[in-house]
Amino acid sequence: MADIQGVSYEKIKHKRRMATEDIIFTIFNTIFLVLFAVITLYPVLNTLAYSFNDGNDAVRGHIYLLPRKWSLKSYHEIFFERPGIRVGAKITVLRTILGTITSLAANALLSFILSRKKFLFKSGLSLFWIITMYASGGMIPVLILFRYLHLTSSFWVYIIPGMVSAFNVMVMRTYMAGIPDSLEEAAQLEGAGYMRVFWSIITPLCKPVYATIALFVAVYHWNSWFDAMLYNRFDPQYTTLQYELMKLLDSVSASTGATSGASMTAANANTITPITVRAAATIATMAPIIALYPFLQRYFVTGLTIGGVKE
Amino acid sequence: MENSITKSKRTKEIDINKPKFTVKEFKRQWILVAISAVYVVYGIIFYYLPLVGWIMAFQNFVYAKGLTGSKWVGLQKFKFLFSDKTFLMVIRNTFAMGVLNLVFSTIVAIIFAILLNEVKNRFFKKSIQTISYLPHFLSWIIVVAIVHDALTSTGIINEILTSLGILKAPYAFLGDPKLFWGIVTFSHLWKETGWNAIIYLAAITSIDPCLYESASIDGAGRFQKMRYVTLPGLRPTIMILLLMNMGNVLNAGFELQYLLGNGLVQNVSRTIDIYILDWALDARNLDYSLGTAAGIFKTVVSMTFIVVSNYIAKKKGDERLF
Amino acid sequence: MKTKKIVSLILSSMLAVSSLAACSTGTPAGSGDPSGSDTPAVTGDGKEIVDFTMFAAMAGKEKNEGNDIMELIAEKTGVRVKETWLTGQSAGEAIGSIIASGKLPDLIDGGDGSVTLYENGLLVAWDDYLEKYPNLKEMYTEEEWDKFRMDDGHIYWANVFGNSYDHNTATGHNGEAFWIQVRVLEWANYPKIQTLDEYFKLLEDYAAANPELPDGTPVIPYTCLCEDWKYYCLENAPMFLDGYPNDGCVIVNIDEGMDKPKVVDYNTTDTAKMYFKKLNEEYAKGAIDPDFATQTYDEYIAKLSTGRVLGLCDQYWDFAYNIMGPFASPLEATDGTTFRLDELGCDYVPLGLTAKPGMSQQWHSYDDELNQSSGCAVTTSCKDPDLAFAFLNALLDQDIHDLRFWGIEGVDYLVDDQGLYYRTEEMRENWKSDSYKAKHTCEYSYCPQWAGMSKDGINRMQPAEQPSEFIEGLAAPLRKCFEAYGVGTYSEFLGSEIVVNAPWYPLWSWSNNISSDTPGGIAWKKMGETKHLWLPTVVMSNDFESDWASYQAAYAECDPQAFLDEAQAEVNKRLETAKSYGWTAPV
Repeated sequence: MADIQGVSYEKIKHKRRMATEDIIFTIFNTIFLVLFAVITLYPVLNTLAYSFNDGNDAVRGHIYLLPRKWSLKSYHEIFFERPGIRVGAKITVLRTILGTITSLAANALLSFILSRKKFLFKSGLSLFWIITMYASGGMIPVLILFRYLHLTSSFWVYIIPGMVSAFNVMVMRTYMAGIPDSLEEAAQLEGAGYMRVFWSIITPLCKPVYATIALFVAVYHWNSWFDAMLYNRFDPQYTTLQYELMKLLDSVSASTGATSGASMTAANANTITPITVRAAATIATMAPIIALYPFLQRYFVTGLTIGGVKE
Repeated sequence: MENSITKSKRTKEIDINKPKFTVKEFKRQWILVAISAVYVVYGIIFYYLPLVGWIMAFQNFVYAKGLTGSKWVGLQKFKFLFSDKTFLMVIRNTFAMGVLNLVFSTIVAIIFAILLNEVKNRFFKKSIQTISYLPHFLSWIIVVAIVHDALTSTGIINEILTSLGILKAPYAFLGDPKLFWGIVTFSHLWKETGWNAIIYLAAITSIDPCLYESASIDGAGRFQKMRYVTLPGLRPTIMILLLMNMGNVLNAGFELQYLLGNGLVQNVSRTIDIYILDWALDARNLDYSLGTAAGIFKTVVSMTFIVVSNYIAKKKGDERLF
Repeated sequence: MKTKKIVSLILSSMLAVSSLAACSTGTPAGSGDPSGSDTPAVTGDGKEIVDFTMFAAMAGKEKNEGNDIMELIAEKTGVRVKETWLTGQSAGEAIGSIIASGKLPDLIDGGDGSVTLYENGLLVAWDDYLEKYPNLKEMYTEEEWDKFRMDDGHIYWANVFGNSYDHNTATGHNGEAFWIQVRVLEWANYPKIQTLDEYFKLLEDYAAANPELPDGTPVIPYTCLCEDWKYYCLENAPMFLDGYPNDGCVIVNIDEGMDKPKVVDYNTTDTAKMYFKKLNEEYAKGAIDPDFATQTYDEYIAKLSTGRVLGLCDQYWDFAYNIMGPFASPLEATDGTTFRLDELGCDYVPLGLTAKPGMSQQWHSYDDELNQSSGCAVTTSCKDPDLAFAFLNALLDQDIHDLRFWGIEGVDYLVDDQGLYYRTEEMRENWKSDSYKAKHTCEYSYCPQWAGMSKDGINRMQPAEQPSEFIEGLAAPLRKCFEAYGVGTYSEFLGSEIVVNAPWYPLWSWSNNISSDTPGGIAWKKMGETKHLWLPTVVMSNDFESDWASYQAAYAECDPQAFLDEAQAEVNKRLETAKSYGWTAPV
């Protein structure tokens, strides 16, 4: 009896100590995270402030958290005075949706194969894909290849070549490998084939990692502009939103050196794209993808409960 | 304790499950093999075919003459690179910034993910996470402009340091070669920590909650749970990402260094990519061959890193790439 | 086993692609589909309008679809051109990727990459079309056209800038100078400033007497941009200070006569040392912006836009157009009143400083500068080269030229009873606005064009050169300053010696295009890198003499002689060419 009392007394003491430890930890953790959030939020707020400022005024700098001279002109300019933006937005939305779905499916299937412990060519196929991450033929051979595959001057150049990404595959494979084999074995005993296992067992358990990869791929597609320029430079019908915005952002480029200054006239001298327009363009492209996040975040949280069921 | 048990279990599994090539086994997994074949064909077309371009590194490639018509120059391009003091310098810079970035971004992202995971209040947790990954969407142009603004003679950093009496006069941070790598690393952390933490946060969700419960029953505190449950649970993800990023050390970047650099710090700021831009992609003398040679060098180094570290991981029974 | 398999896979795929690459060399790049407009419009006489694409390897701003003047020009010429500019790539990358993608635009200005395009056989020779289209032919003299000839004897492009019809009518000074705010000169009662010592003394004195702008911003006596290639602001003043014109890369000494030019390196002269020593002293005194060495172009412009920088050394086009807007917008002073920077006298005027007082100088070049190294070209992918040349020819018709640069009569400019064009304040503002330019104006700024006198003999080809427009555009303090010195234009203000351009001038048209596959080219690149590091270092140095010595040692290691030899050879070559056209040295 005394023994039991002693134990419970110890336990209570222990619990109390843990509680104070908990509180101190929570306080410090909260302070730390809030501080971190403030630091990371600053550049975004700064950009936001610039985007709502008058262009001529903003050139003078020293704008921090609030605009000095309010103006909506920058947003007006990017949304209503650049027709390329609308075509670009359409293409970008299309490629983001289509690209994310195809890429997620392609990556998931490959990850599934590579995470099967009994798969005969596991390390060979892994190596095959890992090499693709580091070995690149460079821009020119890729361009020539795409030209012969008729991928230049087409929408499909956004979807097909980048469908499988070794990086994403490795992340997914690691997650899938963490799922106990017993589930697969049990299903196979009941006569389920590999595809069945993939679809009915692995996929539902992989929602958090699917959400992560979907986010990565969607962001990649949303932000892409280099491919639009490289492969569809003279095909304005396939322009992307970010390419149109890059044209705005990058109209002063440091590397356009050798044009003689003496030949610059008012007509072709580059006035800098107002910093406010750059800021507005940044905010405008950030907004939709940020809106996507809380939607995906759900899966990160529900992942926990599914994880609980899995053993 | 937990850690060592799971580890030994894993090593055993690998040994038992090592697949043996038999006709029966092949037949059993024919569907996997068939699908893999499709992926291999795809990979060959889109990733391996362009490697034919590597031939350019051994030629004086002229576009009009093509791969078959350009003059062969053997290892001349490689000799040019490795006899150029500047190239050796940019290798050092690239490597240093790559390693600093790899080490710090991994550590900070993991710490951030673990600390965020400890937050009980869902709303707070979600808000912090959303905020933290926002800077990822800003372009380097904007981030560098802000970093620059803070570090000029009238910037906030100089103002704070002089008002605290740490500095007597404003210091030219951006012109000091000793500080450049630090500024680059910090800028990376600032922009990417929240984003990098996403993978770890997703991986944490796969940790079995039973482990936390049993740890609690065993009397583990929060720090102990982080140390003995969360961290080991993240281990496979950490290892895989480390291994993969090891190969990216020489891809330390271009834009950030290019935008942040200036004449005074050029000896520490220039990376391999900037060197390629200067010497191989000069419009007046397009030298694809030189660019390709530098690219091959990067690939060889990356693959060496990967193979060696993968071998070490295998020896230690850790998660590995192949 | 597996590795073997992979190796064989790679090898076989390599074979496949190399055969592809071989094919690619055989066939010329396929002609692209007509891109762009969904609604093919027709011209006045019922012909269908052809859409061309044009790429310029420069930064620039795209025009909106359905741009007013673009449509007007399309109706008249039957051609509409969609211009595309450099985005996020260097000119080299862009040209390289355009070549490899096999889809070339119809028209191109390859900038630095022009020679690459020529070497790959992607441009159409102008020779035959020049005979057919008189407006194009008229652009240059036989001798000038010959300068454009490549080593196969054909002409592939024409530079479109700085080429004056009748005579050069420039009112501005587009080139380099030490600039000073007019309020500083006004404060000192319009003194004559001839040397660096006088210049910096005045800047310091003014800053001491007027440390702040009305809105409380502290002034900076002097700043200097040294970012990337724009470090010429710091670097090439010794050339001008010694009284030489802007050859850009070297001094061409003609002490022994015009027919015996001698190339001299301006980086090692006594004047160079004197200049950097002066900057070093001023930096120590705090008269030079402490952030000058690390500032970016954006920061530099932001600084100038606040009106706080009293003096700087730069070329006009590099800063002036970007600060016009902010200078003309009202600001609030600390006492609550509003003011404008241009009305305060913050506009800059150029000073022709020299190493010693009373020397003649050539900061301003009165003649056109012919840059034959790049220009407007028609590619072999062009759907209809003849139409392209006809279009370029038509762009030089006076009515279309006026549409491009003056705009639509009644909307963008008015004509008085003498036939003189003029603009109202609102029209001038419109032509400064990016969004107005995107939807309304269409300069085709990299296609053939004229500066100088209009063919009507009354107006100027370019509004900026119209004397009445120029004077109208000046703020009151600037006009007052010009009056005080008894001059009417920037170039008169600068007061450079009036000389006929030497046959080799400007040599920068060669050095801008020097490629790194010769010893001289490599030396040129290394010299640039060394100067980027050392010039700001010596300016900021605590021990000027020893750092200067280290700089000169590092500079000598770059083998500048190899570069100078090639420069000398180029000067000689140009001299010989001129002689073959009957040029003789003036006595």
